[in-house]
Amino acid sequence: MERLQVLKGTFCSLDAFQKQLLIGSAVAAGGILAYMVQKRRQVRSIPLGEGWWGAGEKPLSEDDKIYPFKVQTSDEEIEDLHERIDRTRYADPLEDSCFLYGFNSTHLKKVVSYWRHTFDWKKQVEVLNKYPHFKTKIEGLDVHFIHVRPPHRDNQKVLPLMLVHGWPGSFYEFYKMMPLLTENQDGLVFEVICPSIPGYGFSEASHKQGFNSLAAARIFLTLMERLGFSQFYLQGGDWGSLITTNMAQMKPQCVKGLHLNMCMSNKGFKVMLSLIIGPYLPFLVGLSREDVDRLFPFFEKNVWEMLQESGYLHIQATKPDTAGCGANDSPVGLAAYILEKFSTWTDNRNRDLADGGLERKFSLDDLLTNVMIYWTTGSIVSSMRFYKENFKENLNNRVDAKTGIFVPTGLAAFPNELFHCPKSWAQIRYRNIQSYNYMPRGGHFAAFEEPQLLANDFVQFVKKVEKF
Amino acid sequence: MFTELLVCLVIGGLIFLVQRSRKQVLIAEDGWWGPGAPPDEGEDVTILPFQVSTSDKELEDLYMRIDQTRPVPSLEDSQFSYGFNSQYLQKVVSYWRHDFDWRGQVDKLNQYPHFKTNIEGINIHYLHMKPKNVPAGSIAIPLIMIHGWPGSFYEFYGLIPLLTEPTDPHDLVFEVVCPSIPGYGFSEAPQKKGFDSVCAAHIFHKLMQRLGFEQFYAHGGDWGWLVTTNMAQLKPKTVRGLHVNFAPPSKPGLPIALSIMLGRRFPKLFGFTEVDVQRLYPCMDKLVVESIKESGYMHIQATKPDTVGRGLNDSPVGLAAYVLEKFSTWTSRDFRNLEDGGLTRKFSLDDLLTNVMIYWTSGCIVSSMRFYKENFGKGLDAPHSKMPVFVPTGFACFPNELMHTPKLWVKQKYRELVTFTAMARGGHFAAMEEPQLMAEDIQKFVKLVEKKKQQ
Repeated sequence: MERLQVLKGTFCSLDAFQKQLLIGSAVAAGGILAYMVQKRRQVRSIPLGEGWWGAGEKPLSEDDKIYPFKVQTSDEEIEDLHERIDRTRYADPLEDSCFLYGFNSTHLKKVVSYWRHTFDWKKQVEVLNKYPHFKTKIEGLDVHFIHVRPPHRDNQKVLPLMLVHGWPGSFYEFYKMMPLLTENQDGLVFEVICPSIPGYGFSEASHKQGFNSLAAARIFLTLMERLGFSQFYLQGGDWGSLITTNMAQMKPQCVKGLHLNMCMSNKGFKVMLSLIIGPYLPFLVGLSREDVDRLFPFFEKNVWEMLQESGYLHIQATKPDTAGCGANDSPVGLAAYILEKFSTWTDNRNRDLADGGLERKFSLDDLLTNVMIYWTTGSIVSSMRFYKENFKENLNNRVDAKTGIFVPTGLAAFPNELFHCPKSWAQIRYRNIQSYNYMPRGGHFAAFEEPQLLANDFVQFVKKVEKF
Repeated sequence: MFTELLVCLVIGGLIFLVQRSRKQVLIAEDGWWGPGAPPDEGEDVTILPFQVSTSDKELEDLYMRIDQTRPVPSLEDSQFSYGFNSQYLQKVVSYWRHDFDWRGQVDKLNQYPHFKTNIEGINIHYLHMKPKNVPAGSIAIPLIMIHGWPGSFYEFYGLIPLLTEPTDPHDLVFEVVCPSIPGYGFSEAPQKKGFDSVCAAHIFHKLMQRLGFEQFYAHGGDWGWLVTTNMAQLKPKTVRGLHVNFAPPSKPGLPIALSIMLGRRFPKLFGFTEVDVQRLYPCMDKLVVESIKESGYMHIQATKPDTVGRGLNDSPVGLAAYVLEKFSTWTSRDFRNLEDGGLTRKFSLDDLLTNVMIYWTSGCIVSSMRFYKENFGKGLDAPHSKMPVFVPTGFACFPNELMHTPKLWVKQKYRELVTFTAMARGGHFAAMEEPQLMAEDIQKFVKLVEKKKQQ
């Protein structure tokens, strides 16, 4: 009370000009505050942009029909593969080097022997064709996708969902998860669209420079529109995580929910602060015990590890044409390059194993089918170019990095993912996180390695959003 | 209290000064790089003559693989910015397939005598050229020249005659030894982990000793720079002089940091010339961004050499693209904007492809890449990188070298810098690109060192 009297007294003792100044600045401050609060509430999006990626000049009109597509092979293709495998010139690995220098040559010979003599590509092609494939031309490129309609639709809520893969994966990574999403009968089921990123697998590669994740996002939004979906869910990891995020930023009104198993955190003051204080007072900076276990010691676990494992990223983001050239002629070279990631990114302790722990979580048939998708389409070079197109300019300065994501988001944090992103860091950009769960096991290729876990988490997230 | 503090400071200062001036010597132990455990009998020191050879089978296999290449067209208007341009690669490969005469080149390789000898369990290849005419009253000066990646001993072929048979009667005559680093070309690859530049230097000292040289000069660029530097650090009394054309600072200390921050404003303070300022600034762009753009290969080779080299050992075209991209970009950065990468402006296709063939026929690409992991795998903090060099040094500063090093920076490590020459033209593969200029600078350097030693 006394203070109020004192304040009142001081106020009255001011002269007219000072009073005006005080009132004026109070109003201004209030106005700015109100504006900021309102701005935060606004759902911001990023511009859609436009592009055309075909060869030569853009024609006046484009064919937008959807054509059915079947994966095919031939005796010639298989003979050529076998011939090249037989001509491989191996180099001995260093004694006791396991997978520390890359894919161990001794183990590679075993994998290749299986590939040459036991792997049945024709049978795998049939496996690939068990879901219907299609192609359609968007922005000058033939975009490939599979479209899986759930067989039991009566008395069920059918939700459209797009799954986007990454590198060095493909649409095939989602095959184990597919039945878990499309064939259940407990009331909620999904109609799944699974495209190939242009430049990967059966999707045509861009002929022009500049094809980055924003372009891919826009193309996939067009695809969903063309298929008649006005609202849908998205799920992705690796590049799929960035592309689906971009899709949610471009057309938030279309994206009912976004589920990611890999999430990039912004480097910023908040992150730095939590790195410094985190090991000692984690709760103060929004880190849980699990976060602390996965993040620290930060330098070893994240920075040093990143340096050890990002050589491929560095060369692909600068000289993709050079890096991919040899891998497109040598199937064994291609297999070593790709399968090294399936070993190390599933669990980085696999580097200390003589066999890279490759078959602990994956079957050779599945791994080689993925490699064959890159081999038979000759898409390794164009898949690598995606890195350069995205890293050309500083990613942190791109429009999507400075914009938040406001659609309902679900994050599944797998323990052996390349880097851990705690909820508090993800919240810097993903402003509407409705589900964040620590998964008990699994690495980077979550859909491929732990389809049940990922499907469960995804469904639980959707149920939350749908208030099921 | 005050006197005690003063005494401590004085003693501390003395210790510091003594530490600094103590000539640190690098130590290396004998290693064993062959398979399994070292044998009980002593080392086999025989030197066997060696001839490069080829066969119809080798050529047929090469042609078959070239014919089965699956090319991927480059993006429109991308020139060499995404790596080796696909359209131009077709032209190079067509020449390789139809016009390149490998047998002729093998004869050319054999024009100098080659040898092999077993050191620490691996067969070391080298060529040894003795001069034909040594003027009366003088002796041939022994010189070891070491190549780098993705080069080979072949890079020195234009330089060797200028040193062993100089036209100018006042020039010195050299006896040249050019080895292949273990894991490169015709030198066997080590089978154990840990073979770094110091191990290579140790082996080359043994080689020179086995050949009967008590003192010799050393020249190198790229890895050769590091290996010869290590040789000078291991046995400073044996290396009479060290001549290098590449010397990136391994340990940026205070003088270098200061010069980067203030050098643009006060070039004279740091001895920066106009060329220095032009090549170093804007430093974020020229030092950091450029390095990141061009060091992807180094990053992957220093971490996963077995993976990245795997495909290159099966695909000759893939190998050629990987290796020749460096001969384009490292000769001049501007070549990235050319459709043909400026590849044949300074080199002939015959010479370029001969170098590639050395990697192809020996199947050494994977082991050549492992050298990066062995040297950088644990970071850039090796003991030798912190030790200065006290052997008389000559530095040839070529304008298009990958990393520009002004005199001040070179002197941080090479404490007895005898010559520092700003060369008129040339890039990273200087010996191959400008042999005349290089020979002149080596002559100038050695003459100066010899004169000093006689005084």
